[in-house]
Amino acid sequence: MTWLTPHIGTQLVDFGSAMLLLTCFAIVAQRRLSACVDLFALQSLFLAMTAALVAFLTGTRHIYIAAALTVVVKVIVIPRVLKGVIERLNVTRELVMKVNVPASLLICGALVMIAFFITQPIIPFGHLLTRDSLAIALAIVLIGFFTMISRQKAVTQLIAFLVMENGLFLGATAATYGMPLIVELGVFFDVLVAALIAGIYTNRLQDAFDSVDTTHLSELKE
Amino acid sequence: MTGQTVTIAVGLLLLAPLVAGWLSLFIKGSRWLHVTNLISIGTLVGAEAIIARAVFAQGSVTAFGEIVYIDALSSIILFIIGTVGLACSLYMRSYMDEQVARGVIAPKRLNLFFFLFHMFLLAMVLATVANSLGVQWVAIEATTLATTFLIAFWRRRESLEAGWKYLILCSVGISLALFGVVLMYYSSLRVLGDVSSALNITQLQQVAAQLDPHILKLAFVFLFVGYGTKVGLVPMHSWLPDAYTEAPAPVAAMLAGVLETVAVYAILRCRGIADQALSPDFTGGLLALFGLISFALASFFILLQHNYKRLFAYSSIEHMGLAMVGFGVGGTIGNFGGLFHLVNHAFAKSLAFFAAGNIHRRFKTVEIDQVRGLTTVLPWSALALLISGLALAALPPFALFTSEMQIVTALGSSGLPREWTQPGTKFPVVMLLLCSVVAFAGFLYRITTMVWGTAPKDVVQGERWSVGHIPIILLGAVLVGFCLALPVSLRQFFEMASTLLVSR
Repeated sequence: MTWLTPHIGTQLVDFGSAMLLLTCFAIVAQRRLSACVDLFALQSLFLAMTAALVAFLTGTRHIYIAAALTVVVKVIVIPRVLKGVIERLNVTRELVMKVNVPASLLICGALVMIAFFITQPIIPFGHLLTRDSLAIALAIVLIGFFTMISRQKAVTQLIAFLVMENGLFLGATAATYGMPLIVELGVFFDVLVAALIAGIYTNRLQDAFDSVDTTHLSELKE
Repeated sequence: MTGQTVTIAVGLLLLAPLVAGWLSLFIKGSRWLHVTNLISIGTLVGAEAIIARAVFAQGSVTAFGEIVYIDALSSIILFIIGTVGLACSLYMRSYMDEQVARGVIAPKRLNLFFFLFHMFLLAMVLATVANSLGVQWVAIEATTLATTFLIAFWRRRESLEAGWKYLILCSVGISLALFGVVLMYYSSLRVLGDVSSALNITQLQQVAAQLDPHILKLAFVFLFVGYGTKVGLVPMHSWLPDAYTEAPAPVAAMLAGVLETVAVYAILRCRGIADQALSPDFTGGLLALFGLISFALASFFILLQHNYKRLFAYSSIEHMGLAMVGFGVGGTIGNFGGLFHLVNHAFAKSLAFFAAGNIHRRFKTVEIDQVRGLTTVLPWSALALLISGLALAALPPFALFTSEMQIVTALGSSGLPREWTQPGTKFPVVMLLLCSVVAFAGFLYRITTMVWGTAPKDVVQGERWSVGHIPIILLGAVLVGFCLALPVSLRQFFEMASTLLVSR
């Protein structure tokens, strides 16, 4: 393909990473739990596409496997499990937030800047193709971290954790063209099991506390 | 010792918990579950002994085409996993059976318990012997997943809360560590260029000096924060007291004695690589600073506790902080002290949790105020509590006092690593000593009020002999034995490991 010059390739990868970041902001702004799950699935799809693109442009075969696994695990299986969990719950929306949506978005904007600032000294060492994705990956990790702290529903916290994981995967693809295959498989396994366990937990919390609001989890104190 | 023997031993090390875990799901009857468990742990300990001998002769061994790498440091961690695991297995025989007999758990759930227990063991063994930092990360995350249901095993509201907190905090922490692993890989790929083995410790050690310091600095900070959450360093410690209180006693003993040690090991491994490219003061400073903060804060929290399991939890944070100070200050004495402290703490803390489990079953409360007169109610457990309490308070001649003094000496003679403080500041040593006095007083005061006094009338008196007393007596004997002498072979092992840790 003659039109696919390295320059255009870089642009495409950057575009994919930017879409991931965009869906991150959408998740932060979204109060409805099921919409959050959909957005997470969309983000994972973007992630798989970006990874496949990197695999195609660099000819690194094993990233294809990781991309395929992303589609299976994060676009199909985990969202389905989460949807099942939400259906059982008596809440569909995140009602009370510690930080409201506009303020959250502003903080996330600041986090993106911090991510670029932190990674600035090490970005020039990277591959030309995926240079800027590392900063975006760190930004996604930080936003996931922040969402985890600021939200109260167990499901949202779980989604935030998965968003962090997406950011990490983008980072691994961007910085190093993927980790060794055995490590990547292990990571996928861990994420899948973590999501399943958290799903079971949410059900048990619902049964025991009649709510998945983690503010009720305050019986253990000093 | 041929390479083949070592390969078989390593294979057994990993296969024993895996096979026993899956078998546990299908075995009927608690007796056979315990037998399987003991066989598996026995195999584990035997394999460790073979590996330790090989390591002693050769310095380090690799197996399965460099997937497994074991040196003196990992042998010591394996030794802790094996011995504490064995003690827990014996203790579980009486502890878990009584819970089933009292109807706290259905007999069927015992299968799940043993399955998770073995997966927990397997993950810890894998994290210790893995050559690749990536595989090590996967294994440490797997320990979180295996233990979260063990912590919430009673399924009460409080235990669910503790389990959820543990799962979320540790998973997030560990995710940050994964970013550190990615960065480590990023830096090593530029030097090694080989995709499959660029995360292997054996490869990284050879080229560590050429790695880029900027990337490594960032990588180490992420790794330290991530694994530090698992160790329970302040301010990432908030899951720890809840988890230890709610977990069944043998699980709490494993968490406190072994899991923390494995997390410390992961930090030390990464540090060994980072130190060769960075100035050791950077990593050492980070370790010592967080260790000091954890130690100081935990020693004051010990004063506030009115729940004995939380008391032990904060004492864990305190001791891990102290060991971190030892590793951070470094040098031969600091590293030796830190390692020795880890081992002593593992024994003393598991003994403490065994005693706590017995007390909890008899008094049905975790409040210190309601437990009185242990000497008449549970004489053996009282003795165990007293021995572990004195050891954990670091009273001489217990070995924890020796290791604590080594760490204090190291800190006093070389001070905190230079990057963070003025050279020659005596403030850290003074603070460390003051806080240790506070912790000592607070801890002993709480323990002694429980041991002496007159027992409440409604509590049954007298202690019947059970299998669960074997590990209590053995651990107590080891703790007292370490007062008198450290076996020569064990000391040589510690010396080997601490020379590995001394950076340049």
